[in-house]
Amino acid sequence: MRLIGTTELLSLQLRVIASLVLRETRATFGTSAFGYVWAIITPTVSVGLLVFIFSMVGRQPPFGSSLALFFATGILTLQFFNELSNKLMTVFDANRALLTYPIIKDVDTLIARGLLVAATYTLIMAIFYVALVTLGLASLPARPEQVILAFLATWLLGLGFGTLNAVVASLWDTWTQVEKILTRPLFFISGIFYVPSQLPPQAREVLQWNPVLHLVEWFRHGFYPNYNSTLLDVWYPVGVGAAMLLVGLAGERLFRRARY
Amino acid sequence: MLVFDRVSKFYRVKGFKKTILTDFSFAFPADRNVGIMGKNGAGKSTMMRLMAGIEPPDYGHVYRTSRVSWPLGFAGGFNGSMTGIENIRFVSRIYGQDTERVISYVSEFAELGPSLSLPIKTYSSGMKARLAFGLSMAIDFDVYLIDEITAVGDEDFKIKSKAVFQDKLAKSQIIMISHSPSTIQQYCDCGLLLEGDQIRFFDQIDDLLLAYKELNQR
Repeated sequence: MRLIGTTELLSLQLRVIASLVLRETRATFGTSAFGYVWAIITPTVSVGLLVFIFSMVGRQPPFGSSLALFFATGILTLQFFNELSNKLMTVFDANRALLTYPIIKDVDTLIARGLLVAATYTLIMAIFYVALVTLGLASLPARPEQVILAFLATWLLGLGFGTLNAVVASLWDTWTQVEKILTRPLFFISGIFYVPSQLPPQAREVLQWNPVLHLVEWFRHGFYPNYNSTLLDVWYPVGVGAAMLLVGLAGERLFRRARY
Repeated sequence: MLVFDRVSKFYRVKGFKKTILTDFSFAFPADRNVGIMGKNGAGKSTMMRLMAGIEPPDYGHVYRTSRVSWPLGFAGGFNGSMTGIENIRFVSRIYGQDTERVISYVSEFAELGPSLSLPIKTYSSGMKARLAFGLSMAIDFDVYLIDEITAVGDEDFKIKSKAVFQDKLAKSQIIMISHSPSTIQQYCDCGLLLEGDQIRFFDQIDDLLLAYKELNQR
């Protein structure tokens, strides 16, 4: 009896995941280049809207000299997290037909989507921040390595939350609706349009439990030379993300049979 | 090698438990073509999904060391908004095949012409079946799982399919579900009969067909 070796299995899985990423790219962005343009336009509009509102009422940026940079660090981070959570939540259902090919497993579709969203947001953020710098609306990040780490941490938290959501949604359909309602307040509690360190201690006490807030703070710590967040604990979002990913993957394995 | 080792499989639908297999052990003979017969709902397709590895068993194991195909004759894996070519490319990629070779094989075999560059959702069911059949034939498997597809397309296509099939039979093994005794007789030389509460193996195909006939007369 010939058993398949680990390297062979690994190369097979990589091949499957790579094919899935290409297929998802095609399915998400369509044939036209406009699909990609749209992916850039959406966050631009959100940031633009906040900048517009704040300028209209004559407010100063909550921190630094650029409204656009301040809001971008908040909105892009939250959108990256939300996109992962939403895209992964529906991944099992959306790829049901693909399981016709026994070579593709549920986890492969999960990894492929996670990679595609990360690639998309790498592109979106790169274009966005480069544009801000070019337009003179922001200076170069003070700690580029911290920006990259913040990005990776956001990815981990999004993967963890998304995987957990995918498992819960596969057991209970209504979860996709409930999750949307539960995550809606994130826009207000993640420090997007204010500086969390300047809040009263009672508010900070509560808000510091939100891991997304730490990620926003982390991005700003990377961009501004003197942001000096009193809340930021980099291990908190990383720990929560890793724990959720672990529980999510365990749940995927545990409830695998229930999905058929 | 394709072996079922004490496999149990059941579904729970709204509190109602439907048992498909109970403690079923069977080693599929490596050099023979196996027909699977039984009434509707006896669990033939589920058994094939277990063979392919699409579904895990509830208890026991299914061991596979050979390259087993997906259950053929099933166009469910196509993405409707992607073109025929894109779908072919995807499947050849996941199976590690030379993409261009598979595309040229399928386009010659399925005779879909320029339609291959159109999204699958514009295809008729016949066109989809031809694409699915051509695609599975383009990839070399040790075991082909066939779930009730024998007659797709027009006469010419049927003749062509048969020829390719005969060619495949020389190198590969076939496990086939069918309700048609003549199809089973033509391609298989032994078989399983699923009777709901028991599964019987027949070493001679004529015995299988006889037992199937009796089952239907009961």
